[in-house]
Amino acid sequence: MKMPLKADQIRQFLPHRWPFIFLDQVLELEPGQRGLGLKNVTISEPFFQGHFPEESIMPGVLMLEALAQLTAVVYTTGSLPPEVLAGGGQVALAGFDPAGRVGYLVGIKQVKFMRPVTPGDQLLLEARIGGRLGLLSQVAVAARVGKEAVLSGHLVVSERPGAEEEADGD
Amino acid sequence: MSKAEEIKARARTRQELCRRVKEVIVRRLELEINPDWISDDQALFGRGLELDSIDALELAVGLEEEFGVAISDDNMDVFGSINKLVDYILEQGGGQEVERVEDAFEG
Repeated sequence: MKMPLKADQIRQFLPHRWPFIFLDQVLELEPGQRGLGLKNVTISEPFFQGHFPEESIMPGVLMLEALAQLTAVVYTTGSLPPEVLAGGGQVALAGFDPAGRVGYLVGIKQVKFMRPVTPGDQLLLEARIGGRLGLLSQVAVAARVGKEAVLSGHLVVSERPGAEEEADGD
Repeated sequence: MSKAEEIKARARTRQELCRRVKEVIVRRLELEINPDWISDDQALFGRGLELDSIDALELAVGLEEEFGVAISDDNMDVFGSINKLVDYILEQGGGQEVERVEDAFEG
């Protein structure tokens, strides 16, 4: 299923706000399964001021953050009833608060950074949810610029404890 | 095969499976220990091997890939010890590959 989301819609699924939201668009979304996202990197990013004054490089950990945010969108949309999702931008009106269900990043493993990301690059982010056990899920993540691989690795994310009961209670 | 031989063969299969499970645990979790140091009844979590819930997830994925057995929230008590894990793998028919390897050696 392709279910693109624009920045203004993405904010419903994430508690993050400027200057710490690193997801401009979701190009493809299979709720609960996988997502393909986009982050345009510009010289106006606040972090370029210090990283580094003489050489603008997007911090690798922020690319991981962008992938974790995409993962959160995949995860939270997976918990919504399909008819609510079909409404696209109207999730809040339907009485749901998916952003409130975003959990925590609990692990990062086998991450490779293949090349620096600099202003003007368009980061394509991909997250695919894998094995689950208890509150935890493994997520395979990758990022590229054009056809060039920039990052590959795995995240482990946790659901927010008690989120399930809250949702049931709504 | 006589009854005694059959029991012996089953014991060998089980021993081999225990060895493989330990090897998978050490490799998948990148533990810096010799797999032989893990005893069959040692607790894997808390005191014992001191694994945590993140290790449990990694192990569940690893055991599914290597032995074809699914571990879910409902049967997490199989992580109690190597013996419990091996019981579960055998019960689910996931140890067959080991038996085939043994047959090949004996044949």
